Amino acid sequence: MAGSKTILFIEDDKPIAEMYARVLEREGYKVDFAYNGADGAKKAQSQHYDLILLDIMMPEKTGIEVLQELRGPDGKGSSETKIVILTNLAQDKTSQEALKSQADGYIIKADIVPSQLAGIVSKLV
Amino acid sequence: MHSQPNRFSRQSLALFFIVSLIPALVVAAIWYVNSQTTTRQILDFQSYVLPVMVLGVLPALILSFIFAELLTRPVRRIHRAVLELANGNFKAQFRGQGAGEFQEIGVALDQVAAKLQQTLSEATSETAIIEAERNKLRGVLGAMTDGVFALDHSGRIILFNKAASQLTGRTMEEVAGQLAEKVMPFRQDGELVMTRWLASERGNRHKIGQWTGLELYRADGQSLYVDVQAVVLNDDPNGIAALVTFHDLTKNRQLEEMKIDFVALAAHELRTPLTEIKGYLDILQHEAKGLSKTNRDFLDRTVASANQLSGLMRNLLNVARIEHGELGYQPMALNYLDFVKETMNELQARAKQQERQLKLVVPGRLPTLMADPMALREVIVNLVDNAITHTAPGTGAITITVSRHRNEIETSVKDNGVGIPSDAIPHLFTKFYRVSEMKSTSRGTGLGLYICKSIIETHGGHIWVDSAIGEGSVFTFRVPLEAVAQDKPNSDNTTTSTITRGAHGWIKDHPIH
Repeated sequence: MAGSKTILFIEDDKPIAEMYARVLEREGYKVDFAYNGADGAKKAQSQHYDLILLDIMMPEKTGIEVLQELRGPDGKGSSETKIVILTNLAQDKTSQEALKSQADGYIIKADIVPSQLAGIVSKLV
Repeated sequence: MHSQPNRFSRQSLALFFIVSLIPALVVAAIWYVNSQTTTRQILDFQSYVLPVMVLGVLPALILSFIFAELLTRPVRRIHRAVLELANGNFKAQFRGQGAGEFQEIGVALDQVAAKLQQTLSEATSETAIIEAERNKLRGVLGAMTDGVFALDHSGRIILFNKAASQLTGRTMEEVAGQLAEKVMPFRQDGELVMTRWLASERGNRHKIGQWTGLELYRADGQSLYVDVQAVVLNDDPNGIAALVTFHDLTKNRQLEEMKIDFVALAAHELRTPLTEIKGYLDILQHEAKGLSKTNRDFLDRTVASANQLSGLMRNLLNVARIEHGELGYQPMALNYLDFVKETMNELQARAKQQERQLKLVVPGRLPTLMADPMALREVIVNLVDNAITHTAPGTGAITITVSRHRNEIETSVKDNGVGIPSDAIPHLFTKFYRVSEMKSTSRGTGLGLYICKSIIETHGGHIWVDSAIGEGSVFTFRVPLEAVAQDKPNSDNTTTSTITRGAHGWIKDHPIH
């Protein structure tokens, strides 16, 4: 079951992070939060997570920068950790950049509801 | 002109001297004869020679003077008249003056004067017309807001209007005689497209070249975006080999960019609150216990409206992307049957809520389709949304049918709604078009079908509609099995078959449900 799975939510919009977390926690995941890109990158490197949900437009570091830091040539993030971008930026070039930087997924927030996200997560981890 | 009488006097004087030479010669002759005789005879000669000279010379002088006058008067008159003619006075009349040859000359001069006057008055009126035309042309060229310039056969500028000066910050004096590629270098991706075209089309009379969005640097270094039109004119008598007009698009372009930026920003900013509205509504739907049936219904209606708002925003953003050429498709190997079923499940909930019957008819198996599922989903969702809007609750029935036609896969969405007036059908797939009869009943933006058409065409397919008033409509699209991505060269994941783009984004290895 999902009971032992851990998720890091890197998202500067606290209410949105909490909204998704409520449903994910209801499904049995353990959810940790980071409210800016720099903190998120630090947490991701100091601790193992099964999944990182990553916003793009954030202070300190953008999601793409965090992704590149974790997945880059001298990447310090665990390769076993799935990283999914969760953003409202729908531009193709951002999506392609995320793909190039080895994200495992790219999801438009406004197009899904928390229960759908839970469904996606259950298939990923 | 004032020297004229003097010249006549001089001639008269010359004549006078010649005439007075005659008696002098007579005297000289006498003198010579007498020199052969004696002194006595000389004395005799001297005593009568003086009176003879006086009597002989005086009448000769008077006669010669009269003769000279008679001879020179008509000549002088004619001379004066010719000078008058030269002065532009054609009114002078010569007829009846003088006698013999002089009269004939006078008549001939009259004719010359008349002819000259006629020719000159014709020429004057022609000059006036030419002058007026030139002023008109100058006025038109000067008043034009588009830049106009003309080139000679060596590609040098020979005409440059006021707007051209204002737009480029260069004066006619600066550019006159300069090569167009030096002072007016219109570029497209760094290439001098216009001057190169002109060089290749030299002599091809009336050939017209048109370019849009060319870049041109002003004298102050600022760049302009212009539409350019050039016409080749090799037979022009004024030596104009080509005429070029250009229209400033810089402001339009800036506005267009602002519009696109605004739409992208607005879409992002609007999505954030919408995410929360939809998210918390979803949580409420799952967690709210003990809601009355009415309250549950309110909640469901709110969810439906939030979804509709979400769809409208997606369409607005899609249009902005189409306009900006940014609708980049990422075709991938797609199990179309699974994809349609998945989309159908999502739409089924909406149809049920709106009390429409939604049916899916699919063949047992289909080959793999190369397509962008996220884009095709937009098409199916838009078509089904339209069908829901134009059918009645309770009786509305919508059928999605998938079939294979040789190397194409066909998808149709059939409804039993109000149908579309035949005069509206040609406009149906254009931007912002809404069927006037339906404006009061439907809430669309007029963008959905425009987006559908753009998406299907980018897949190398086509979309059309059959409809009858009162019976309903069938929207059908066909996409080739090997989709041709017409918009962009292969993106990284075209060949990455492990990527699945679902309805709401993409996930590696795992499809989104």
